[in-house]
Amino acid sequence: MEINRADSKDKAKHGRAGVSRRTFIKLSGLAGAAVTASYAFRKYALAATPTSESPGSEFPQVEGVVSEQLIPTSCLNCATRCATRVRVTNGRAVKITGNPLSQVSEGENCARAHVGLQVLYDPGRFTLPLKRTNPVKGRDIDPGWTAIPWEQALDEVSERLKTLRDSGQPHRLVVFHGLNTTSGEDVIQRFATAYGTPNVISDAGFDNEADKSGQWLADGNYTQSAYDLPRTNYILAFGASILESYKPLARSLRMWGKIRRERPNRAKVVVIDPRYSVTALRSDQWLPINPGTEGALAMAIASVIISENLYDIGYIENWTYGFDEYKALALDIKYSPESVAAVTGIPTDTIRQLAREFAQTKPAIAWRGRGATSWPNGSYTSYAIFCLNALVGSIDVPGGVIYQENPPYRSMPDVTEDDIARAGKAQPIIDLRKTARFPAAEVVSNQAADSILEGKPYPIEIAIGINSNFNMLAPGADRWDRALATVPYYVHIAPFPGEMAEFADIILPACTFMEEWGYDHSPPGSGFAEVRIKQPVVAPLYGTKSVANITFELARRQEGTIAQSFTGIGNDAEGFVQYRTSSLAPWEEFRKQGVWVGPAYEYYKYGRIFLTPTKKFEFRSGNLQTLLLRAGQSTGGVATLPHYEEPEFLGDPVNYPLALLPYQPLMSVENGSQNYPWAQEMFLVMHGQGWNNFAELNRHTARDLGIRDGDAVWVESPYGKIRAKARVFEGLHPGVVAIATGQGHYAYGQWQTGIGINPNEIIGTDYDSLSGQAVFFNTRVRVYRA
Amino acid sequence: MAKWGMVIDLGKCTGCQSCSVACKAENDVPHGSPEEHQQQRAPFWHKVFAVSQGEYPTQKINLIPMPCMHCEDAPCIVVCPAKATYHREDGIVIQNFRRCIGCRYCIVACPYGVRNFNFKDQVSQEYHRPDLPLERTDKGIWPFPQRVRGVVEKCTFCFHRIDQAIREGKKVGSDVVPACAEACPARAISFGDIEDPNSEVSRLLATRGSFRLREEMKTEPKVFYLYG
Repeated sequence: MEINRADSKDKAKHGRAGVSRRTFIKLSGLAGAAVTASYAFRKYALAATPTSESPGSEFPQVEGVVSEQLIPTSCLNCATRCATRVRVTNGRAVKITGNPLSQVSEGENCARAHVGLQVLYDPGRFTLPLKRTNPVKGRDIDPGWTAIPWEQALDEVSERLKTLRDSGQPHRLVVFHGLNTTSGEDVIQRFATAYGTPNVISDAGFDNEADKSGQWLADGNYTQSAYDLPRTNYILAFGASILESYKPLARSLRMWGKIRRERPNRAKVVVIDPRYSVTALRSDQWLPINPGTEGALAMAIASVIISENLYDIGYIENWTYGFDEYKALALDIKYSPESVAAVTGIPTDTIRQLAREFAQTKPAIAWRGRGATSWPNGSYTSYAIFCLNALVGSIDVPGGVIYQENPPYRSMPDVTEDDIARAGKAQPIIDLRKTARFPAAEVVSNQAADSILEGKPYPIEIAIGINSNFNMLAPGADRWDRALATVPYYVHIAPFPGEMAEFADIILPACTFMEEWGYDHSPPGSGFAEVRIKQPVVAPLYGTKSVANITFELARRQEGTIAQSFTGIGNDAEGFVQYRTSSLAPWEEFRKQGVWVGPAYEYYKYGRIFLTPTKKFEFRSGNLQTLLLRAGQSTGGVATLPHYEEPEFLGDPVNYPLALLPYQPLMSVENGSQNYPWAQEMFLVMHGQGWNNFAELNRHTARDLGIRDGDAVWVESPYGKIRAKARVFEGLHPGVVAIATGQGHYAYGQWQTGIGINPNEIIGTDYDSLSGQAVFFNTRVRVYRA
Repeated sequence: MAKWGMVIDLGKCTGCQSCSVACKAENDVPHGSPEEHQQQRAPFWHKVFAVSQGEYPTQKINLIPMPCMHCEDAPCIVVCPAKATYHREDGIVIQNFRRCIGCRYCIVACPYGVRNFNFKDQVSQEYHRPDLPLERTDKGIWPFPQRVRGVVEKCTFCFHRIDQAIREGKKVGSDVVPACAEACPARAISFGDIEDPNSEVSRLLATRGSFRLREEMKTEPKVFYLYG
């Protein structure tokens, strides 16, 4: 092998010294002679120039295949976590394909899965634990990293954790986690419980919590809705880009092919979105709605369905509660198609057409996404859209809303708790979930920054961020910069130095999902359960450790009840995965197949899916009534009914006439980095553009503002301004400016630093009042030439 | 002898670009950079193009995945002074790196813009791909996996997969397809023998309306699109 490498260097030297082929052609002056020339100079032309040490240079450069494996594992470039198989040749991962045994996506992957290779071999990855030497923390301040050995790093973190706990303040630890494996999340949660902190803050509050609370209001399941896509005949998508960002994505992509051209009856899709998304482009009808008015449209559709008696009487009489009040509200003049046409900008006739098609094409789905629900009134909009499904009887029927089965992982023994842990966990959670402020919330990710800054309800001493990058993800991103700078000790665990890592006191380099043990499943979508394995396709590069292994090691070092809680569940990540999946399949079989698929989905489970006081689908939410009463809030009027509230915008319409609309393109990787050339060069398929994002404007808007395509512009909100390149685009409501998310990274990486802009930097901080979902779409901006 | 062709169903395509990125991974096509993107020099053997018509709010944008069209009457072959590009017996248009003199006449001649000039030296460690079949090492017509600067490259319909499948007695079109077709999550891309009336591609062409790009140029492409 050594000889081989030396040989190639030798060739390279000749290559540089020799006459290049093109020079030769010029010299010869005759194109005809070039044919011979290309042979004569072949060996020089073939020589490759060895580069500086890039990851993978440790692999032998041998000819031919010495070893080849096809390893089943799964992706983690978004929360869909698709089953994959990775081809590993001579110790190097070279290709990722789907695992045909997966039923959720029928063996398919989206484009992001292939990018896993560049996640694994990202040249910017951490190689060793790093310790901060510069005590001053802030954006763009050099932390002065110095490499330390693993043992020292783990000891140091353990010592800090132990000291805090021994002082009886374990709740002053906060754990942030971004996109982790399901197994990683289970281990992290277990550690936090044993340690005694209630403060585990996921990034879900930046995603689709209002979608979840909408379903909870109606049927008591606080979850993203699952839709029986392959069997549906009609989809009304409210602000959900099914083909770009909605998860499980690969399932939607696969089923799209199925419902559009693989059956005799082609499903019709109508997309309601101010932006002409890829989903809108591929749909049958696009309705550019006035931003934030989807709730009104949903109510108007209900109004038409009810007034024309098109609703499913049988279902409503037997399995719903509160229909009369809902009916009375929907028939209010406020929700007549005429009134709502003025609000939404969608013509009256179109509203009637949608309502009739939706009610008469069975089975039909009303599908809601963040575009419609990530608003201050998001939960009610979400509730209003979700209720349309019940109105036409699309609840737990083939082709309607279904109820996701969870995989039956083997349960873990209870965490061993001592008094310190019990007292710590009894403390209020810093994100104010389940308080009067956010009565229904499960997690309010963005609130944590403000709580840390204010030191309320108590100061935070230690923060641990695990694959998190909230400084990029959160609206009002600068608050996170300031909050993290005030935390006395911040531990960051991730494979690469993202923006959040800049604030760390110590960095523990985690391996990527391509090198770790884990189990995973998709967000709701398929109905039936499916579990995929994660197993290392190559040994962790640079001796990095998986999140689960780091947690196990930290737990052992804490000794006492924490260490005890981590015994008997396997002694490390691999053992833990083996333990948890032993209820599913024999270990060797699971490893070899990579996928476990649960029993086929059963429909019509009306007896057990409604977790509401009446055990029925509720048009008037009993769950919310209970919460509001407990919080001492009013339950009168429409407070517990699905309804539309005019969205409150941040910024006055005179100075800031446009609504900012951030959107996630498919090639935006969700792990907190974008340092992946493949993802970058195909970033915006609609614009045929890569390595950038734009301030996208409707042609009429741009003309009024005197902006031409390609101009440099400022996008300014009350909270700041960013400089972008303007893109004049036909597919956009004239009242919005759209900016793709995923760019604007500044912390590391040759392939992402200084590329594009991050719209979150100028988005104000606001929340959905019930779920605490961070609001992304209600910031007003003005755009002018730079 | 089979005549390989591809059918891309725009009614199923979701514009996800799995095809383009899988092509890069399969064929070891180097990624570009912001500068190359700006200069339109980034190499793609397969790319999804957006075609826009009309005005808001009735505009129509189509996303069209574009491999090489493997024309029956291929202008690139006609113009090549070095006979570096030619038809295989199965109709695949091949580019021989060792004959190519880098004159780029073919790039000018191609009506589809699917040919790429390799402007840069291979970053060997990054792209060394010993798993690609031996024909693609410097012993055969393809000097892969070490790339060559200064020559023209293009989509091959993944002929290495086809040849391997035939050697192993597998069925091309069902067991084995090009990387782009294999990666398509919507299963919008079909591949097979367009002269075999029983193949999937023939069946699709017989039952659905189809078109080819720039049909008026009479290049007889072997990539067909089904209407969306």
